[in-house]
Amino acid sequence: MGEVLAVSASTTIERRAVRLTALLAAALGLAACGSQTGDDGGTLGGSLVQVARQAIGSAGGGGAGAPAEAPRSAEQMAATALQVNPGPLVLAGLESAGVTQVLALTGENGAMRTYMTPNMEGVILRRGLLIGTRGIGNDLSTAEIGTEGLIRSRSAGSGNRIMRIYGGDGRELPLPMTCTVATGAGQSFSFAGTAWNATQVAETCRIAGAEVQNSYLVTAGGEIPVSRQWAGPGLGYITLQTIRP
Amino acid sequence: MPSSRALRRLLATTLPAALLLAPAVPAPAQVMTGWGLNSYGLPGGVDTPSAEMLPDGTISVGVSHSDYGRRITGAAQVTPRITAALRYSKVDGIDTARDQLSDRSADLRLQLWGEAAGWRPAVAVGLQDFLGTGVYSGEYIVATKNVTDRLQVSAGLGWGRLAGKHRGFNFGTIGGTLNAEDWFRGGAEPFGAISWAATDNLRLVAEYSADDYSLEVETGKDEPGSHLNLGVNWRFGEAYQLSAYTIGGEVFGAQFSFALNPNKAPFPSGLEPAPAPVRPRVAPAADPEGWSGTWAADPTAQPAIQTALADALGKEGQVLEGMVLDANRAEVRIDNRRYIQQAEAIGRTARLMTRALPPSVETFVITSMREGLPVHSVVLRRSDVERLENTEAGQIAAAAQIVDAAPRPAGLVATPGIYPKFRWSLAPYFSLGNWDPDESFRYEVGGRLQASYELSPGLVLSGSVRQRLTGNADQKAPSACPTPGGGFGGCTVAEYLALTPEENLASNMGVPRVRSDGRMYSGNTSPVLQDLTLNWYAKPSAAIYTRVTAGYLERMYGGVSAEVLWAPADRSLAVGAEVNRVKKRDYDGGFDFLDYEATTGHVSLYYDFGNGFLGQIDAGRYLAGDDGVSLRVKRQFANGWEIGAYATKTDLSAEEFGEGSFDKGITIDIPVSWAIGQPTRQTVGASLGQLARDGGQRVRVSGRLYETVRDGTADGIYHGWGRFWR
Repeated sequence: MGEVLAVSASTTIERRAVRLTALLAAALGLAACGSQTGDDGGTLGGSLVQVARQAIGSAGGGGAGAPAEAPRSAEQMAATALQVNPGPLVLAGLESAGVTQVLALTGENGAMRTYMTPNMEGVILRRGLLIGTRGIGNDLSTAEIGTEGLIRSRSAGSGNRIMRIYGGDGRELPLPMTCTVATGAGQSFSFAGTAWNATQVAETCRIAGAEVQNSYLVTAGGEIPVSRQWAGPGLGYITLQTIRP
Repeated sequence: MPSSRALRRLLATTLPAALLLAPAVPAPAQVMTGWGLNSYGLPGGVDTPSAEMLPDGTISVGVSHSDYGRRITGAAQVTPRITAALRYSKVDGIDTARDQLSDRSADLRLQLWGEAAGWRPAVAVGLQDFLGTGVYSGEYIVATKNVTDRLQVSAGLGWGRLAGKHRGFNFGTIGGTLNAEDWFRGGAEPFGAISWAATDNLRLVAEYSADDYSLEVETGKDEPGSHLNLGVNWRFGEAYQLSAYTIGGEVFGAQFSFALNPNKAPFPSGLEPAPAPVRPRVAPAADPEGWSGTWAADPTAQPAIQTALADALGKEGQVLEGMVLDANRAEVRIDNRRYIQQAEAIGRTARLMTRALPPSVETFVITSMREGLPVHSVVLRRSDVERLENTEAGQIAAAAQIVDAAPRPAGLVATPGIYPKFRWSLAPYFSLGNWDPDESFRYEVGGRLQASYELSPGLVLSGSVRQRLTGNADQKAPSACPTPGGGFGGCTVAEYLALTPEENLASNMGVPRVRSDGRMYSGNTSPVLQDLTLNWYAKPSAAIYTRVTAGYLERMYGGVSAEVLWAPADRSLAVGAEVNRVKKRDYDGGFDFLDYEATTGHVSLYYDFGNGFLGQIDAGRYLAGDDGVSLRVKRQFANGWEIGAYATKTDLSAEEFGEGSFDKGITIDIPVSWAIGQPTRQTVGASLGQLARDGGQRVRVSGRLYETVRDGTADGIYHGWGRFWR
């Protein structure tokens, strides 16, 4: 982990990269070391570690039936899920609720994929980008991501994004944001038996004086195996890791 | 269906995004809202008003008490800039006929403009106690400015009560009329308040108020001591508020209130499980038979598909009542029994159709059923469903069409095993009486058994029986017994029953008692038949709906009710007519009738103004034989909340009508799903009317056509369209 941090410290977007590294570290299961806290107060890595620790009870293993013994780390959860489910899987952590679960692919429409837990809480991803959530309670209806090209091509720049959430009044509430995309260092890592080469990409978005930040690890082909994405004011951040593409 | 109409209705909510994320930054001309309530239950200082509004749609109920009296105020933010309030207050010693004056009053406040950057304050005008007997009657114009994040100043001019010039209380009047000739008359006095928000939830306020409570002081209360009032408001748990105040330093009071904001659901998107995603079709080469449509010739295809789809829809709380299936087009008729937004049911049905139907089926027709009536049909192209899944709801709205459902389409196959359908439920009930001058809180608790037997689509036998367990809502006779002075006064039940019909009529200025003896129907300790009816709904042509209901229609009347409604999908207008021949039921809740009969009838006009505002005008003959017009306005939120108000004026004079002069009231309906997050179509409703009088009364038939089909109409569907992909 120390080595990962050193790498990130050398980038030009130091602070973001440190965040992202913390995420990556946690996401990769290095969190198993347990004591790691992100340098910005556990917003990211720290909470994710916690998530990984606390979440075990709820880790069903998407559509796969929970094993008798609760897994103890993201890597273990992934390993269990890989055994019992032959299809594509993601590990998703909801930071605000302190819950991490394995979700299995239940639908594919073009590049858009719907993953669900056994109790039908779902996330909708387009090649790793969060498009929506369903069944969680403060769901994201849809996201129009004007920065998608920048993120996938690992290029710096700026663009707009509209997050549409389900408002309490029963309608779709658009949250228009202006975003800037910055890139960081490259990383090689493996998770759940898959090796990845990816580059850190950070997307900072502003709305009404508030700032949120999405962090991605993006491969040369534009895939996003690891990310931490903001799903709206009610849900907060969701961490996503590809278990099986 | 012009898509502009669709889009106008559903495109985005009006909630400013900023409210969700950051403390509101006052933008130019935005509505100024506040949470600190004065002792009249409206935003303001202690007694004085401010220019603030409640957040849009909020319903607040507050109880305040001081030596000067008790006020229970229900306030509703009916539009972003209009606050309306109804108040029930008790003031000791003023009403010589009773120990206390019990008074209902109504307020209105209009924010003319909001606060702007720089020096411009928000400004509002208001009418306090503008209906009724006028004990709190006063008017004001007030400006409010946030000087800093925490410091707020209000200043205004008040008339009437707010100028310390009460307008007395005239026992001779029957109230209920606008006393407009008094408004903004009689000399104005200034008032002002400074409030300081110590924290986001704690507010201290000091005000100068010209009201010297002279009316209360005349009846023996202490004088306020000074014109300086102090108060503190503490908000907790989002919805609750406690405040303590002193009027002039001599008299102390406290208030408790709670506020519900329909726009702030605990679980805005609901907790229902994720829908099954769209399954796009495979390439034609991978399923040539499915794409060619030759499967349609196989007689086993439709039953298999229909069974599979009915099962899948059943898990979504949708009853697949029937289906028309051919090679290119499928119509499904669904009775949505789970989701408060019909659009959510339709969106889920469309996705299930992509999973169940062979690829050659390109046109999806989803017809909303209500009480066996096919209302309107949403027509979608399957390619659009595939292409637009999980995009902004407005896109699929623009690609959809809503049309009148054909009453009997060729090839309709009813799903087997649905009819006859028997349902029953046993549940507790709690009923609360209207506010009453003599006893403000009348309640009854017991059990209710409900059952319905649907013989075929639209033909339903249903009934309910109540058994009271406890309560203080006892049987009580109206004031119909002659008094020595020549008037009429209280009766025992036995005395009332002994009156001849002529005596009874004479005691009510010749107006038949059609509702004013409502409490005679209370207090039964044996089982009470609430209603028992046979309902027949039909749809003779594409835009015309009919209903015939016969039996024990409601607790007080039985008979026959017939109705027709014209509600085409491409209009916001609907027109209906109704005729009822009814007989008054006996007080005991059994099968017997009393000897009052009436024929009533109305022509009704319904209009959807958009954004959830609905209007209704009924003109016709009411139960007491009086002729007149009812006006009803309702605001429906997309999440199912409803706030409404109604008023009826008939050819009975104000004297014949009695206290209140004409019939009026407000209604509130709150969806259970809003509160608990779980999907259900149940709502909890309340109707705050005034005293039960006899003018302008209609038979309370359940299942009137407009409210029955409304969810399934184009307007109803578009209203909740934001949840199509939920």
